Amino acid sequence: MIYTLRHLTTYRYARAVRSARCNLRLRPRDGEGQRVLEAALTVTPAPKSRLERADFFGTDTLTLLIDEPHRTFAVEAVSRVAVERPVPPEPEAGPSWEAVRAAALRLPTLGPDGPAHFQFPSQRVPIVPAVTDYARASFPPGRSALGGAIALMHRIRSDFRFDAEATTVSTPLAEAFALRAGVCQDFAHVMIAALRGLGLPAAYVSGYLCTRPPPGRPRLRGADASHAWVALWCGEGSGARDGWIGLDPTNDCVVRDEHIVVARARDYADVAPIDGIVSAAGAQKLTVEVDVVPEDEAA
Amino acid sequence: MTSSAALADGPAPDASAWATDDPASRIRRWTEGYAPRPGLADEMVDARGELRGGWPRFLERLARLDDREVAARFLSAERHIRDAGISYRVYGDGREHPWPLGSLPLVIDAADWAELSAGIVQRAGLMERIVADIYGPGRLVAEGFLPAGVVAGSPEYLRPVHGIAPPGGRWLPIYAADVGRGPDGCWRVLADRTQAPSGLGYALENRMVLARAFPDLFADLHVERLPGFFQAFRAGLAASCARSDPRICLLTSGPYSSTYVEQAALARYLGFLLVEGDDLVVRDGLLHVRTVAGLKRADAVWRRIDADYLDPMELRSDSRLGVPGMLQALRRGGAVVGNMPGSGVLESAALSPYLPAIARALTGEELRLAGPDTWWCGDPDGLRHVLAHLDRLTLRPAATPVRGPERDAMLAGPALDAARARALAALRERPFDWVAQEPAPLSTMPAWQDGRLAPRPFVMRVFAAATPEGWRVLPSAFCRVAEHDGADPSEMRAGIRSADVWVLSDTPIDAPPLLLSTAPRIRRIAGHLPSRAADNLFWFGRYLERAEAVIRLVQAHLGGFSGALAADASGEEGGPTALAIRALLKEWGSVEAADLSPAALAQEALSGKMRYGSALAHVMEARRIAASLRERLPMESWRALADLRDTLVYAEAWAPTEAQLFGKAERALGHLAALAGLAHENMGHGTAWRFADMGRRVERAINTCRFAVDFCDREASAEDLGVMLSLADSQIAYGSRYLTGVSRDAVCDMAVLDPGNPRSVAYQVQAIVAHLEVLPALAADGLPETHRRRALALAGTLQTADAAETEGEALEHIETELEGLADRIASRYFPNGPDALRPEKLTGLA
Repeated sequence: MIYTLRHLTTYRYARAVRSARCNLRLRPRDGEGQRVLEAALTVTPAPKSRLERADFFGTDTLTLLIDEPHRTFAVEAVSRVAVERPVPPEPEAGPSWEAVRAAALRLPTLGPDGPAHFQFPSQRVPIVPAVTDYARASFPPGRSALGGAIALMHRIRSDFRFDAEATTVSTPLAEAFALRAGVCQDFAHVMIAALRGLGLPAAYVSGYLCTRPPPGRPRLRGADASHAWVALWCGEGSGARDGWIGLDPTNDCVVRDEHIVVARARDYADVAPIDGIVSAAGAQKLTVEVDVVPEDEAA
Repeated sequence: MTSSAALADGPAPDASAWATDDPASRIRRWTEGYAPRPGLADEMVDARGELRGGWPRFLERLARLDDREVAARFLSAERHIRDAGISYRVYGDGREHPWPLGSLPLVIDAADWAELSAGIVQRAGLMERIVADIYGPGRLVAEGFLPAGVVAGSPEYLRPVHGIAPPGGRWLPIYAADVGRGPDGCWRVLADRTQAPSGLGYALENRMVLARAFPDLFADLHVERLPGFFQAFRAGLAASCARSDPRICLLTSGPYSSTYVEQAALARYLGFLLVEGDDLVVRDGLLHVRTVAGLKRADAVWRRIDADYLDPMELRSDSRLGVPGMLQALRRGGAVVGNMPGSGVLESAALSPYLPAIARALTGEELRLAGPDTWWCGDPDGLRHVLAHLDRLTLRPAATPVRGPERDAMLAGPALDAARARALAALRERPFDWVAQEPAPLSTMPAWQDGRLAPRPFVMRVFAAATPEGWRVLPSAFCRVAEHDGADPSEMRAGIRSADVWVLSDTPIDAPPLLLSTAPRIRRIAGHLPSRAADNLFWFGRYLERAEAVIRLVQAHLGGFSGALAADASGEEGGPTALAIRALLKEWGSVEAADLSPAALAQEALSGKMRYGSALAHVMEARRIAASLRERLPMESWRALADLRDTLVYAEAWAPTEAQLFGKAERALGHLAALAGLAHENMGHGTAWRFADMGRRVERAINTCRFAVDFCDREASAEDLGVMLSLADSQIAYGSRYLTGVSRDAVCDMAVLDPGNPRSVAYQVQAIVAHLEVLPALAADGLPETHRRRALALAGTLQTADAAETEGEALEHIETELEGLADRIASRYFPNGPDALRPEKLTGLA
């Protein structure tokens, strides 16, 4: 499937901002069953300097310095991406979760895909004993890692309420877990903490999800959102390409061709689409518009 | 620290034999009953109870002084610590604690020290190679010498640093290790300190204090000196920089850091600029420091903040302590940073079991200094061993040093409590979060107890600096001694004292060369003043002057103006002049209510702890600011400030009389004059001095103007005018100039307009104009900047004004202009001026 993506972010400031330094992580990844066909970025006001590089986890990161006073800062990222992923392996057939945990530790690599990075607490995902306790029910001894993770995902989906008002971008994981509510970011963080609590390597994936308007209704412009889900390292013998399989606890599904990956790292703090520092003296207001249009729908 | 406690720390205060016994019997008396715990090494005596190493030499020399003399010398050392304001904070506790220098130094002989230093040098070199590999080629992990989980599990493994080649070529310009002596008598490393080791400054302070107290012992015992090490450390950092005459900064997390005082002392000693994160800025890939002359290159940074706070763009995005873009500057070679961010990964306790094999692989040598016997539970063999020997091992988090509430999580073997049960459960699910260690009991050194020496556990931090000639070890250490057996000396806190470490050379020590072999280029400017320091100096001056204004008002109120002119007008309690003084004190927040009795009013305005506008409050504020300026103010000002505070705080009586309070005000003014004198006579008249002086002048001009509005306006009474002259400290000058008595216009001319009176408004403004003239300009176009234009205009107004017309609105206009001028100076030179923009995080889920 080929998608056309548009992601427009606008910051409006109450008082003029003198300068800004920001990181943009908006370019979809090449590889992992994805190919970026086109990508274009428009930034206003025009930056004084721009520097593009891949960060440690391979995320394309564009660092901008804006050095003129401005009241509005807008970033529009447009791209076309082809997605075609292999059929996911049979859930219960892969190696046991205990074997996956041990194998992850034995792998002598600190490369960006190396599982050891994803077994430990990170800035936004601490190990929370209550969350580990919650995870245990899905992982009886000897069960396949993927089978257990899918069962855990079902439970998160049925126990948790999707509620955009319940949490904010900075709500701690333990709080979202206690509320049993939140958005995709909270669902992903909770599931990652649950898997890591048992020692399993789990990553945070940011990107987009193609949603279909209800039958007979037109697609509403800007109505989509950026999305986040989980990737589990299931071991080298699991049948998954390089061991990683995407799991989307918000929609209770194994990732196939409807998900477009931008970044895969330890948690939200590693992959925030836009972050940085502005020299400001007033409030800021943020609006975001996202469109994910599959090519079969275009025209 | 009271003097009695200090004495209890020294030899016996009441031993009857004091004056008569000879050195040999003194030593016998001191060491009688000294009994190290069985099975533990002791620094002073060996297993047979004989004095060992350099101790016979040391004790023999010390015992030439009688007990009284020894106690007096230690007491003078403690007094010096108080006067110099050397202090530290305990993690999570806002108070400053005076530095607890224990009494006896730890004495180590040259041969013993040489062995320890060789081990430290080897280990420092090994650490440098390991960290370079972790963030570079990654061979140690790929070839199986180091498990990936040991590295990945460390919170100090900073992934954005991967692939950066450290500018200047080194990851660790400074390395430190906590060491102790094992039961076998060999030195052992208890922990490596590679992030931002503290203690170097305290070691230096301990040495300065003891060297003053015992100069004769230092010479006679051939104690190794320290300056050479510090020169080498500085030279090592400087040699890493691209420019030949580099600007080196010490990056602090600020006055609330637990070791801020030490950082300030080191900056002063080494000649580094003491900066906080927002003093630094990255422009075009290069690091700069904000100074009053604009942005200037910063070549190297000695980092004393934790690395994950260093750059909000790539590390913790919520950091307010760091420098946005710092890592990018490092990638481009735009600054040298020591130690490099990410070096803290080497502090992980889980690294320890792998070091011997890594040492063999990388250097072909055996490790000279053993670490604690450690097993990482993420290794299946390690875990098996740990589970089989749990009862005698200590479990601790692998990711050390742990921060926050789990800081002290250490679960000793025998105590199988709830925490340990939880740890055992955790061992099953996340074994790789834990290491287990064989307990390593610390060796002991002597300390005074009840006039005798008693063995106490200690830990010693040894430092090595990377220099162009290789690693160089400080021939001393930062030693921490437990006051009793139960205290853990691995961290400064209650119950722990510090001690100097004396390395005794066999041959006399050459005095350090005071003359440089090559002459530097002569210069008269001390370098550009950072904006923050300028800001602090300015406010230091303002607060002191504010305190003075309050004190003078109190004096005026208490009738202190009953001098030659106003003998008959010494103020009725309820008269209009007294009421005006009371109203002004209330307006300034010096008193809560204007209708207190004169004594109560004076007491509150001078010493009110709860009044934000009391003289004491202003002095404390000045003291708080001075803490950030330690490296720039004359040493004596710290003591003068302490005296000033003590004078204001000291209660002469439960209910002091007006006369007593008047005396207190007078003494406080004396201390303020001493501070002003120190600033003028003992500070170089460079940019720093100019800002402190400008603060004082601006504040004095504003206050004098305000006094003139209240006490020297058109309807001013003779009593008012007497108060005015008193507040402007101009009674005597007036008396000698005008023999006829007080006249409103004459008083106004003297207090406001006369440029020859050092207390007049006009004099202050002229002084400010003179300062601004020589301060650096931003543009080279020769035009005066806004703030300078404003000062010149005001000076012109005052020069051409006529006393008869300088009243009412004209006076208020001058006051407004002065406040505007202060604001303009602030926004031009200071980072936190009235127009400052604060860095804000871009928020929101985008």
